Amino acid sequence: MVGQNGLKLAVHLITAHLGDLVAKVCSCLLHRGALSLQEVVRFTKLSISQAKNCLLVLIQHNCVQAFSVLLPGSTTKTMTQYIALFDNILHRMRFPKFLMVVKYDLGHEGEVLLEGLLQNGRLTFDQLVERTLSKTTEASASIREEMRANFNNLVHSHYVERCPKPEPFVGPDSEDQSTFARKRRAKTVPILSLEQQVMVAATLSNGERFSEISNGGKMTVDTVVADHHVATFSGEKRKFEALEMDQELQSAITENEVLWRANYEKFIQCLKKKACVLNVRSRLGLDASTILEAMIETIDQENVENKNTVFASMGSIIERVREKPGGISMTLEHVRTILVDQLLCHSSTEDTNTWYTIDLNDIIENSQNEEVETFIRARYGLEAYRIFRLLIKCGHPVETEQIVEITFIEKKNAQEILYKLWKDEYLEMEKVVMHGSGQTQLFLWKLNKRVLREHIIDDMYHASLNLSQKISQIAQQQREVSPHGDKKYQRVKYILQSSLYKLDDALMLFQFL
Amino acid sequence: MVLCIAEGAKAMVPQKRPRLGSKSGAALVPDEGLSDAERMILEAIRSKENMGIWTFDLKKLTNLPRGVFDKALRLLQQKGLIKCVVSIHNKSRKMYVAREFEPAKEISGGTWYSQGSLNQEFISDVRSKCLAQVTRLRIATIEDVWKGIQMSRDSKADFTLQQIKEIVQAMVLDKELEEVKSTGDGDFSAVPAGRPCYRRFERRAPIAGALSAIPCGVCPRISECTPDGVISPNTCIYFTKWLELDF
Ligand code: SF4
Repeated sequence: MVGQNGLKLAVHLITAHLGDLVAKVCSCLLHRGALSLQEVVRFTKLSISQAKNCLLVLIQHNCVQAFSVLLPGSTTKTMTQYIALFDNILHRMRFPKFLMVVKYDLGHEGEVLLEGLLQNGRLTFDQLVERTLSKTTEASASIREEMRANFNNLVHSHYVERCPKPEPFVGPDSEDQSTFARKRRAKTVPILSLEQQVMVAATLSNGERFSEISNGGKMTVDTVVADHHVATFSGEKRKFEALEMDQELQSAITENEVLWRANYEKFIQCLKKKACVLNVRSRLGLDASTILEAMIETIDQENVENKNTVFASMGSIIERVREKPGGISMTLEHVRTILVDQLLCHSSTEDTNTWYTIDLNDIIENSQNEEVETFIRARYGLEAYRIFRLLIKCGHPVETEQIVEITFIEKKNAQEILYKLWKDEYLEMEKVVMHGSGQTQLFLWKLNKRVLREHIIDDMYHASLNLSQKISQIAQQQREVSPHGDKKYQRVKYILQSSLYKLDDALMLFQFL
Repeated sequence: MVLCIAEGAKAMVPQKRPRLGSKSGAALVPDEGLSDAERMILEAIRSKENMGIWTFDLKKLTNLPRGVFDKALRLLQQKGLIKCVVSIHNKSRKMYVAREFEPAKEISGGTWYSQGSLNQEFISDVRSKCLAQVTRLRIATIEDVWKGIQMSRDSKADFTLQQIKEIVQAMVLDKELEEVKSTGDGDFSAVPAGRPCYRRFERRAPIAGALSAIPCGVCPRISECTPDGVISPNTCIYFTKWLELDF
């Protein structure tokens, strides 16, 4: 569940990027969940055409997904609904980072193409070519060829994907399943939110998603066929008009040509891995981070998505390490020592080759803990930090006396700290009454990792929102007072921007573990 | 003057182990020549063994007139038959324990307390001893640290393994030491694989917490701060200070 601050941040981003009207529709969907066009009109009090246009803009920028569901009480007739994609909205503040990833991997050419897609949300390859041609005087044929190769590189590396189905059908929770079957499924498969269900239904198969463009601009697979049931018309005039309106909107979004967009998932994976390397660098030094980076690259080569366990042979690690700055001077023994003693990799031997395994989730979890701990230390002091670390480590409720004993903190101070942390909802407390010779009241304290994570994420959303709001205010002041740029404003904007970037790096590690 | 235990130099040395319920010890204490009031008070204190008794409760229990009670209590202390302990639960409470008993941990706080408060000087001394052992060995199990301290010449005190464990665990919480499981390889070769051991916590660069680095991360008013509220980023004084906004 996204907290209020997350929703406010999402609306702020849409307002800043796409304007007030679009933000109004987006806010309505974010707060109320999936809605039909008529409902959007009713809640926002916009005209039909305004609401429709706003939805189109949001769909174009991958912030909203349309889907169809059965009309209540019907087994065949469907209606279109729209749902806001919260994560995609937030990714908008990460675009500069996405561009850096591609620039580092595929150079300026890849960056320019991706920039076109990020700015426009969704484009056909033809539109991308046109966009570039309008800015250059070079011969179009040679540019087109070059662009196709670069574009295919982007697709091959999974940085760009074909857009999902425009309006997938999302069925009701299968009623045909027995309670027993549903219970069994619930145990093994996590229950998906509606947003997740829609995303799953809209996603194309991997083959389709990343099929490159063959010569002549034709796709290697057929164009998308929307997996949706066309409504059959009957009955009342009002219903007929409603459906006609949706069809009109839908025909606008269901393009015949193949639309492409940035694959956010891939970028998040890349940024997550980069964050792991950075964390290791600041903790263990440059050599350890170079070796980890080399390990990660060995699996990236195979284009393994969402793989958090890295498994690499010494041979391939050494090969990659040697290609890196400073890597040539590292001896085999040095690399081995770092893998075992510092990165704490598990090793196994297979056919004379030694394999090393590292779980990136451990590094991410470590980064998360460090972030929370420094936050607690800065806000509540060193003793609170010690208590906090104890409760993270324990994972079960701990009684006040025990906390005092283990942490070497005076009881009165410990009680005050625990109360403050509990009041601010970072800890959970349980009162236990013991009946012995007399009646004693014991207080047990526990850190619920899930609740804590949600709380920290919400704090981060709030802080990001505040930084963004301040950036907008400074930009506004600059426009009014010094339209030609003033170093003072530049400095302040730089501090705010870089703090926001760093905060978002931390946020990503919490959001997408 | 009331004589309290664990004063001065005594505080630097771990206390004697409590002789729980050692009734036989009581018989060794010569209590001939005591007045009736003194004997009554001493018996009441002895009956509480190592848990001691608070002056107020003692007065109630013996039911002696105030002047007699005060005098007898003072004399018992002067003769060294009872000792006064400051309770960790309430520093203004004087608790009395018979000489032959070591005050219980629940009252005195145990090894790491002196006069009802944590003995910070003593604790940090033991912490440096532990750190020195881990630094010397690079990777050490808790037993290694303990043995190292016991064998070192500068160590006059006699620590139990448990006491060293308590200190080392607090050092792990403070990230002075790090607890790791031995891989049985490389630096860990001296420790069997899977055994927990300790090494110095080292970090090349300080942790740069993103949230704690900005005013909102440490702001006490964050829950009241809203985009258009009375407290808002647009009017925030913490931001003004942080960004040195003088324009
Ligand atoms: S903007 Fe100012 S008042 Fe609001 S949370 Fe941040 S520091 Fe606190």
